[in-house]
Amino acid sequence: MAAALAASQAAAAPAPAAPVQPPAEVIPASWAKLVDSEAEIPLRVVQLDGLAVMKIMKHSRDAYPSAVNGILLGLDLDGVMEVSNCFPLPQGREGEEESTARPSASKYQASMLRSLKEVHGDDNVVGFYQSTAMGAFLSQSFLDLQASHQKSLRHGGIALVHDVSRTARGNTSLKAFRLTQAFLQAHKAKKFNVQGLIERGLTFSNILEELPLQIHNTPLLDAFLLTLSQPTVSPTPTTLFPTASLSDLPPTNQPLTPTFPILNTASTPALTHNLSLVLDTLDDYNQESSNYAYHQRQIAREKTRADAYTAKRKEENAQRVRDGLPPLPEEDVSRLFKIPPEPSRFESMLLLGQLDGYAKTLEDVTGASMVKMYAAKAGATAA
Amino acid sequence: MSLGRPSQAVFLQPPAATSAPFANRPSPVTSVTVHPIALFSILDHYLRRDEKQDRVIGTLLGSRQDGEVEVKSAFAVLHAETTERVAVDMDYHRTMLELHQRINPREVIVGWYSTGANLNTYSALIQGFYQHETAPHPAIHLSLDTDATDGQLGVKTYLSAPVGVTPKLENCVFTPVPCTLRYTNVEKGGLDLLTNAASSSTHLAHPEREMEELEKAITDVVGMLDRVLTYVQAVLKGERKGDPAIGRYLLDTLSAEGPALGRKGAEALMGSQLQDTIMVSYLASLVRSQVEVSSRLALVT
Repeated sequence: MAAALAASQAAAAPAPAAPVQPPAEVIPASWAKLVDSEAEIPLRVVQLDGLAVMKIMKHSRDAYPSAVNGILLGLDLDGVMEVSNCFPLPQGREGEEESTARPSASKYQASMLRSLKEVHGDDNVVGFYQSTAMGAFLSQSFLDLQASHQKSLRHGGIALVHDVSRTARGNTSLKAFRLTQAFLQAHKAKKFNVQGLIERGLTFSNILEELPLQIHNTPLLDAFLLTLSQPTVSPTPTTLFPTASLSDLPPTNQPLTPTFPILNTASTPALTHNLSLVLDTLDDYNQESSNYAYHQRQIAREKTRADAYTAKRKEENAQRVRDGLPPLPEEDVSRLFKIPPEPSRFESMLLLGQLDGYAKTLEDVTGASMVKMYAAKAGATAA
Repeated sequence: MSLGRPSQAVFLQPPAATSAPFANRPSPVTSVTVHPIALFSILDHYLRRDEKQDRVIGTLLGSRQDGEVEVKSAFAVLHAETTERVAVDMDYHRTMLELHQRINPREVIVGWYSTGANLNTYSALIQGFYQHETAPHPAIHLSLDTDATDGQLGVKTYLSAPVGVTPKLENCVFTPVPCTLRYTNVEKGGLDLLTNAASSSTHLAHPEREMEELEKAITDVVGMLDRVLTYVQAVLKGERKGDPAIGRYLLDTLSAEGPALGRKGAEALMGSQLQDTIMVSYLASLVRSQVEVSSRLALVT
């Protein structure tokens, strides 16, 4: 894809120099789709509509602290993935089996898509969204879902991650991702042992690649938002006598008042929660790595036993040859000794990814709150 | 925070049901609050209407509490209007309702919406249908004026009451109910982002990192303070006539925000919190570098 982009750019560059004879065989990337509807135009940017943003936020917040997901609808046009709508998916209830939860979710999705089509809504699935808290969203189900989307959807689909805890602090956190080729290959081959990881140089940081994200509104929504943020003067009498209290004053009429939640200096509760999450994940990781070590020891033990057996058999055969007897057949060692398969490193890789997510959130929060504290101090001493 | 232009309408309230026969009747609706997402859905539906359709309708979902109706979301419903009849796709309404309630079982039907400012016989008929759906609670009707007849996209909410000697479905009065916008902290963040997109020249906005947001918030506040300061100085110099209302607001704001963070307060804050914050910050970067090292080591046998 990058090669195609480079080619089209290279083709575009000499065009102004020699406008008389443009190379006829080179079609600009934006026209390629008209000529060939299956043409591969690389995805450059994800564009979210206001409605989708608000719907994702509402769903994530209603279900907080449990993580939820839903389907994104829209269209990819000329390298821009336009997400115009979305709908939440029902979450499997406690105790419900995975096997029953999945068909019901897909049935839900089908009937929702049918209904949306009837009222002329977009019904083209382009990806899914996932809510998270404190920045750790990497999980087995997240990656499996995206891997299945990337196989079935045009352009692979995108995964949108919304961090509720950060948005509540006044910093809207939306990120668009898709899986890298390296991870997709590994996922396809189900090779997450050490060898497989080394071959592809796979760590938690290159499982996903981020796509730039921009927010766009429909013109009608733009107009509506602007009327909301415009203060309107109430037509109440203007001859005001000095009033006793504020409640006697005419109400200011501005539905969208700025509140600046980001200027709040108290970030301690969030920090404590985040730190305890870090500790939990560290425990999990520890357990995972001791599991791994146990497996390694198991493998080593079986291997030594197998080696000892082959050595013994060889010795015996040599003895028999010397005694003039026919040698015993060389048996298949792997059938006698079950060498356990090498354990997958997938889980521990994901845990590392989660740890990194938590720590990154911690860094961001503490960085901002240090700035705020020094600012408050400067303000107080200057006053 | 009310929506649209303040109206001169008198909000009529039915008498409180205190007498014995009405004791178990639901409390009358005194106010309506709307979440922005419901309004956004309505606007989206209006944009996607049929070419010949004048207005669109749909169902409002939300909750009720002590006479206050909270509209939390909305979905579109198919309907057809001709000069002699109106039809609402009931099956569609039921299906969508079921789908929505699987996600959020706490949200129930509270009423319906339509776009455009006029209320006609068909409005009364549709209102009758929704009244039936929400019984015993009254159904509310929200109208969003997409034609901007009074210069803005006004939002109005109504209740209905039967009128006439013999009660007929198409005879009813729509009485206005005060309507306000409500949003949560999370939604506010999203709204800010959308407003940025609306007011920028490219009609695009990008979610920013925490530091950039912080910088913007501080510049905004400084700008506001500057504006107030210039105004106050102009009044003090006698260049402008002071408005007592603004004075009251200023006084109220300054005293309501609690005791200002003095020099001592700032020092206490620094003493108690700064050490913790710095420590956590160090810890976080330590964790990150350890994680990075560990993931690299996994690639080495």
